[in-house]
Amino acid sequence: MDPLVRNNVKVAGGGQQAIIFAHGFGCDQHMWRYVAPAFEPTHRVVLFDHVGNGGSHLGAWDADKYGSLEGYAQDVLEICRALEIRDAVFVGHSVSAMIGLIAAKRDPGALSRLVLVGPSPCYIDDGDYVGGFARGDIEELLQFMDSNYLGWSSMLAPQIMRNVDRPELAEELTNSFCRTDPEIAKHFARVTFLSDNRDDLEDVRTPCLILQCSDDVIAPEPVGRYVQSRLPGSELVLMKATGHCPNLSAPEETIAAIRQWL
Amino acid sequence: MALTGDMRPGPSHPMLPDTTELYEEAPCGYLTTLPDGEIARVNRTFRRWTGYSDEELVGRRFRSLLTLPGQIYHDTHFAPLLQMQGEVKEIAFDIVVAGGERLPSLVNITQRRNPDGRPAFNLVTVFNASDRRRYEKELLAAREAAREAAEALQQLNRELAERVAGEVDERLRAEAALRQAQKMEAIGQLTGGVAHDFNNLLTVIIGSLDGMNRLLQKMPETPEIARIRRFRDAAFQGAERAATLTSRLLAFARRQPLDPKPVDANKLIAGLSDMLRRTLGETIALETAAAADLWNAHADPNELERAIVNLAVNARDAMPEGGKLTIETGNVRFDDTCVDGPAEPVPSGQYAMIAVSDSGCGMDAETLQHVFEPFFTTKEAGKGTGLGLSQVYGFVRQSGGHVRIYSEPGLGTTVKLYLPRHMEAAAVEAATAPRPTRVAGGDETILVVEDHDELRELSRGILVELGYDVLEAHDGPSALDRLRDRPDIDLLFTDVVLPGGMNGRELADAARRIAPDLKLLYTTGYTRNAIVHNGRLDPGVALINKPFTYHGLAAKIRQVLDGTG
Repeated sequence: MDPLVRNNVKVAGGGQQAIIFAHGFGCDQHMWRYVAPAFEPTHRVVLFDHVGNGGSHLGAWDADKYGSLEGYAQDVLEICRALEIRDAVFVGHSVSAMIGLIAAKRDPGALSRLVLVGPSPCYIDDGDYVGGFARGDIEELLQFMDSNYLGWSSMLAPQIMRNVDRPELAEELTNSFCRTDPEIAKHFARVTFLSDNRDDLEDVRTPCLILQCSDDVIAPEPVGRYVQSRLPGSELVLMKATGHCPNLSAPEETIAAIRQWL
Repeated sequence: MALTGDMRPGPSHPMLPDTTELYEEAPCGYLTTLPDGEIARVNRTFRRWTGYSDEELVGRRFRSLLTLPGQIYHDTHFAPLLQMQGEVKEIAFDIVVAGGERLPSLVNITQRRNPDGRPAFNLVTVFNASDRRRYEKELLAAREAAREAAEALQQLNRELAERVAGEVDERLRAEAALRQAQKMEAIGQLTGGVAHDFNNLLTVIIGSLDGMNRLLQKMPETPEIARIRRFRDAAFQGAERAATLTSRLLAFARRQPLDPKPVDANKLIAGLSDMLRRTLGETIALETAAAADLWNAHADPNELERAIVNLAVNARDAMPEGGKLTIETGNVRFDDTCVDGPAEPVPSGQYAMIAVSDSGCGMDAETLQHVFEPFFTTKEAGKGTGLGLSQVYGFVRQSGGHVRIYSEPGLGTTVKLYLPRHMEAAAVEAATAPRPTRVAGGDETILVVEDHDELRELSRGILVELGYDVLEAHDGPSALDRLRDRPDIDLLFTDVVLPGGMNGRELADAARRIAPDLKLLYTTGYTRNAIVHNGRLDPGVALINKPFTYHGLAAKIRQVLDGTG
């Protein structure tokens, strides 16, 4: 299948160098809407959805292939080949930071610079390593997703529609972004939060910029510092932005940090 | 639009609540948060639900009120959605209240922006969703139960399908076994019938040649007599070969009289090994692996020897380039689970096993289907009779045992004989010792009972020649008449199968009532019912197989009369 269709690839801008923006768990390429346009005058801007998210082709989803980050990294490289992209800047948010690292190790010529936004190679605490979560927390997250409205509604909406006693439940959904098949979302959550990719930090030769938010409950500052310590020559920027999505909550700061490093 | 009269808000009417009270006491929590999520204002309903004071809530991030999974979901879904679409509706969060309990809630949020487009603050409404969450949980549980029921049903269907397939396989195997058994039985009936009739003819031929021989000995030696003698020898050899052939056919048909005894197969094989080595030749190595404490088999040792020799000859022919023949023994218990193979069924129990394996060319499945059938051979024309494995099969089956054959083209063949264990502690005979034969006649009185005129005449001739006083009868009733007339009769020599409604055994029983000391010798081409129970001789019964020779009959008659047979 054409990777450009499979991954709902959108290309804009007209620079020499390509800049690829990759979304993390929970959303799709829309989360770059305040950041990506800023690079269109200088770069060839590439946006895409990971398979199973946003406008990607759900028929291409495969539990085995996407049972590890390797499958997602493979897709990134296929997109590069389809667009004949070399020496691109790859901006990966959250889990896509690690996906970019894996892809760059497989084909260093395709991705020559990496911007890691809120990266975490391992979310689970392990001995001296502090990832921020216990395994039980992640299991609880998966249960939580089951009962959450976004996932819940698409599973139970048809039954609710027929429930004449509770007509208010038939109200149309308005959370239009970030909707996906709830089982795929749970699978992606499992792969994201239960993977241990610390070994993939070895022998990375690609220059990396780490953008670390304040008060990020998902990728806390010690994790960002751990990643920097494992990537010689990488640069860590502590942002004023709080939370896990500076690309949405602080787009100007994010743009500036990337520009300055480039 | 101007509001009129009583509907005007605010304190202008002292009986109406003002908007502050509506805000504070609304049936939902109201919060105002800053762009980074910090709580700026919160109503009384929310404070009451959570048990937190105004001071505890203001300045704190809304996210921090959530459970850890809720915090993850907040940062990966809720906050990004708010940034992208300006509002998020009905997200199901659990809020951790002051006492540590969880308040199931539905959260809506709307973003307000400054004139320059920057986020200014958020309006958050929180609904107590305890009832709804319970309802959702019930729905989810019902969905899960339905899924499990569907899975259980599928599993049941799969198991049913497997069981049906298993039953069908089982039935097909049983039918195949039955077909094989019926086929072998039919071939056996046909073979046995032909062999029996043929045997009677052979007895006449051999007896006549014997008589011719005795006459020739009294004639002067002339060139003509010498030629006649050569013709006689050729005819005799042909008749002997024919007799061997019919005995093999009878063996396959399970109609040969067997004389089962406790047999130590290890000793029997050891006794055979010199002969086997000569048979196999120099290029084939013979190995034996004798099991210690091997059970005695209950079988006819002569036939067992023939079976092993037949297998060795087949193995030799399968290894023209040389190889190895291995004979192993062992004790085997068949239980109900392993006796129902594709071959014919075998009763469960204890068996002494003898396995003969070669490293030869092996056989394919098609060939294996037919190996036990008489005259089936894979050898070149003239090289084999096709009766070797038939003898093995008939003998083992008639002995209450079982044959299994395993073969792979190019790898070799193993034939396993399972003979029933002999359960009585008894003197073990490794193999029958060669029987001493002596030609001795006598003067006793013998009654010959035979419906076949030529055969009766032949027997009479031999016995008269040996000096006996011979009486004849063609069936049971006439034989009994003779006995009543002549109480001095010493021996009754009778065919087993007689016409006239009385078989040889019934005749013998009746005769013994007339003359209790009467000696008995049976003869038969085959014996199915009267003498041989399941192919075995009754203890103490003497028998001579047709076709018999002059010397053979002479010796047997003498043995019976002397009480040594």
